[in-house]
Amino acid sequence: MSGDSSGDSSDKEYVRLVSSDGFEFSILRSAASVSGTLRGMLSQSSNFVEAKQNRVVLPNISGVLLEKVCEYLYYNLKHQNNPGNIPEFDVPPEMALELLVASDFLDGMRRVCIRNRLVG
Amino acid sequence: MMSSGKSRVKMRPPRNRDSGDVNFDDSWGVLSTAMQEMYRKNASRLSYEELYRTAYTLVLKKHAERLYNSFKTFVAQHLREIVGSELAPLASNTTNSLLTSTIGGGGLTSTIAVPLAAADKREGGIRFLKAAKAQWDDHCLCMRMISDILMYMDRVYCKELQLPLIYDAGLALFRDHVVRNNEFQVGEHIYAIILDQIQLERDGDIVDTSTIKATVLMLESLTEDKIDGETVYSRSFEPKYLRSSVDFYTAEAEKLARECDSSQYLIKTEKRLQEEYFRAMSYLSVTSEPKITKIVEENLITKNIVSVIKSDTYGLTFMISNDRFDDLKRVYRLCKRVDPEKTDLRSAMMARIIQQGGEINQDALECLKHPDKSKGVTAQNAATAAAFKWVEEVLGLKEKYDRILNETMDGDNQVQTSLTNAFSSFINKMNRCSEFLSLFIDDNLKKGLKGKTEDEAEAVLDRAITLFRYITDKDMFETYYKTHLAKRLLGGRSISDDVERMMITKLKMEVGFSFTTKLEGMFKDMKVSNDMMQDYKAHVQNTDPERTIEMSVSVLTSTNWPVSLSTIESHTCVYPPEIERIKRSFEKFYVDRHSGRVLTWNPNMGNADIRVTFRKRKHELNVSTYAMVILMLFNDLADGESLRYEEIKAATSIPDNELIRNLQSLAVVPKTRILIKQPMSKDISPTDRFSFNLGFESQYIRIKIPTVAYINKTETDSERKGTMDKVDELRRYQTDAAIVRIMKARKTLEHNILVAEVTGQLSSHFHPDAALIKKRIDAMLEREYIERSAENRQVYHYLA
Repeated sequence: MSGDSSGDSSDKEYVRLVSSDGFEFSILRSAASVSGTLRGMLSQSSNFVEAKQNRVVLPNISGVLLEKVCEYLYYNLKHQNNPGNIPEFDVPPEMALELLVASDFLDGMRRVCIRNRLVG
Repeated sequence: MMSSGKSRVKMRPPRNRDSGDVNFDDSWGVLSTAMQEMYRKNASRLSYEELYRTAYTLVLKKHAERLYNSFKTFVAQHLREIVGSELAPLASNTTNSLLTSTIGGGGLTSTIAVPLAAADKREGGIRFLKAAKAQWDDHCLCMRMISDILMYMDRVYCKELQLPLIYDAGLALFRDHVVRNNEFQVGEHIYAIILDQIQLERDGDIVDTSTIKATVLMLESLTEDKIDGETVYSRSFEPKYLRSSVDFYTAEAEKLARECDSSQYLIKTEKRLQEEYFRAMSYLSVTSEPKITKIVEENLITKNIVSVIKSDTYGLTFMISNDRFDDLKRVYRLCKRVDPEKTDLRSAMMARIIQQGGEINQDALECLKHPDKSKGVTAQNAATAAAFKWVEEVLGLKEKYDRILNETMDGDNQVQTSLTNAFSSFINKMNRCSEFLSLFIDDNLKKGLKGKTEDEAEAVLDRAITLFRYITDKDMFETYYKTHLAKRLLGGRSISDDVERMMITKLKMEVGFSFTTKLEGMFKDMKVSNDMMQDYKAHVQNTDPERTIEMSVSVLTSTNWPVSLSTIESHTCVYPPEIERIKRSFEKFYVDRHSGRVLTWNPNMGNADIRVTFRKRKHELNVSTYAMVILMLFNDLADGESLRYEEIKAATSIPDNELIRNLQSLAVVPKTRILIKQPMSKDISPTDRFSFNLGFESQYIRIKIPTVAYINKTETDSERKGTMDKVDELRRYQTDAAIVRIMKARKTLEHNILVAEVTGQLSSHFHPDAALIKKRIDAMLEREYIERSAENRQVYHYLA
């Protein structure tokens, strides 16, 4: 843990996101870094608690929502390199609004697909 | 990519945990406490998420503006406290300061200004810089952290209203409240310390460059708000730096000029240039480098370089004379920096070359006037000796400067041009240059190249060609060369036909074949004559086998050979009957072969072998044709009889000057007195009597009797004048031809353009002066080759 900030090892490293209702999701650091906010929180050069423990508590995001968020983070990570031809990201309409707010909070989920979904 | 559908699903609105109004002060309290902790380096106990969310909520609730301003106030206050507590105390030990000291034992205290010792100054200053840098580092770190937490506000609020982001605002706050702190003058201290350090280093001390560099980086990171591209470094520090540098280098320039000789000055200048360059690149800002370099160049080079070059004791002249190559390299490098044209350097070199060239010219002329008898130089070969001296010295000078150009100035083209111009100038000032060069080559082809290998010979000729290139009046050279070549060919004096041809080839490469056609014609004539002689001998065998006199004739095409050989009037001669007979025979032989050609006999260049019976024994004498004719007269005389000068002249019709010369060779020159002269004096007067010297004795059987050279000096001068006149005449014809040629091609030309074109066309032969061209144009107008245009008197038309 100590000394590996970014670099190859971060591909294998896992961080934990905790929802308001106590669900813990363990995801790749690289996936979490898609979100600017999360990236800042977990950055090893920051001195905050989150970085030290590699664990972020998000009291305003529910477990269901957080799960979707993690799904999105992976989706984004997987298709980072070819923005042309990607399959749709499925968003259940009842969750769309909450997801939008969460994405705003987390600063990173700028892909158009969510808004598309909402408009559609 | 829209999915179709109007699915009527119920949307769940986002749950708002923080409903209701949020208390700004509470939230701000959380944030400000956190920021305090950050400054105290206790950030590890803080939760990023919580702070982020706090700020996020404030922004959502439209408190962004208040948050932003509170942030700014907080940071400003904090920074001011820092300055007061951490930096101000250190400021007093940095520069010259007031010290309270006790004087004497009487407990008298007074406050005096004491300049601090260099070591104290240095340490105090560095300590201050380090402290400032530490604060800066802390501040940057905190700003990063705060910027992270307040990222939401950055994104949403600052970007919207185009306000500076948190991080940038933080930097600006540092700039305004620390560096530009009015109370404690932190910035001014920093600048003064850095300038002190620079001065220490300029004086030779070692300073802590890494700290200075760190400080400079800090100054460069603090950008100015309203002015693009400017930083605190460029706006506040750099001007001070440049001003103090100007002061320093103005003084330095005077100091060096006073204390050092030229060589030292140059070395020190280069050292300073390097020093400033490294300083700017390594611990100041790269952007300052060109500016400081310019300051040094202006003060140390531009102001003083001319006086360095022109200095009597150690200036350029001295460096050149003493082969001070390093110094010359330095001068060149430094001049090049400030003046890509290197005008000062070039004009100084040109002046020197022209001066030295003038001296060489003078020496040669002196040599002519006062031949150095001790070196065996007589009036006769004074010209040759002077020519050699001149050529060798000029070539030597050229080699010296070529070396300087290549080794110290990188073969710079502009300098090369200047050198060429300077050489051209003084060489052509010497109006006997063409003659001298021709003499030089002549002597080499007669004697000097004997026994040398082909390569060595070629080397010598190449040197001659080098000089040839500089001469503008190439047609003068052609005239002299032709004359000398004629003498060589006809007298058989040339050591090698191959070398002669090599020379012609080289000349051809320089100026084209029009120049050398006549010269090659001369060679051809000789060869043709040779072949013809074979045939003639066979012919004589067949027709006149009893003939006892052998004759060898060279037939010359008059246009090829020098003009002096073909004027008829001065070469009259009445030949003895035996000679006359064989003359006629050859004429017939020749005319049979080439009808329509006219032969004119030229006794000027020939020679004859005569077998003469003296009392003691027979000798074979080799004499000039004229001398032969004179001697033959004495065949018919009885012993003891004599002839007067007048009688000889009447009998032979030889012109006076030739007659005198030959009689002198035969009667006056001590070793070869074939004739006895009465009275025995050096000069020939018309009343002298000559008789055959039966008692002549010599140890050699074969004796060559050379003809005495023209002793009368004015004659030689008039001969030269004659040459000039002929050259002028030739030039007139060439100019005319050029004018007609050009007008025929262009039909209509303006006066100035015509003059320029004519000059260009003739440039390979000689340099025409404008007056000559104008005269010839007038002549052409008169002869109606061209006419003036009716509308514009400056324009000419070609008349077919």
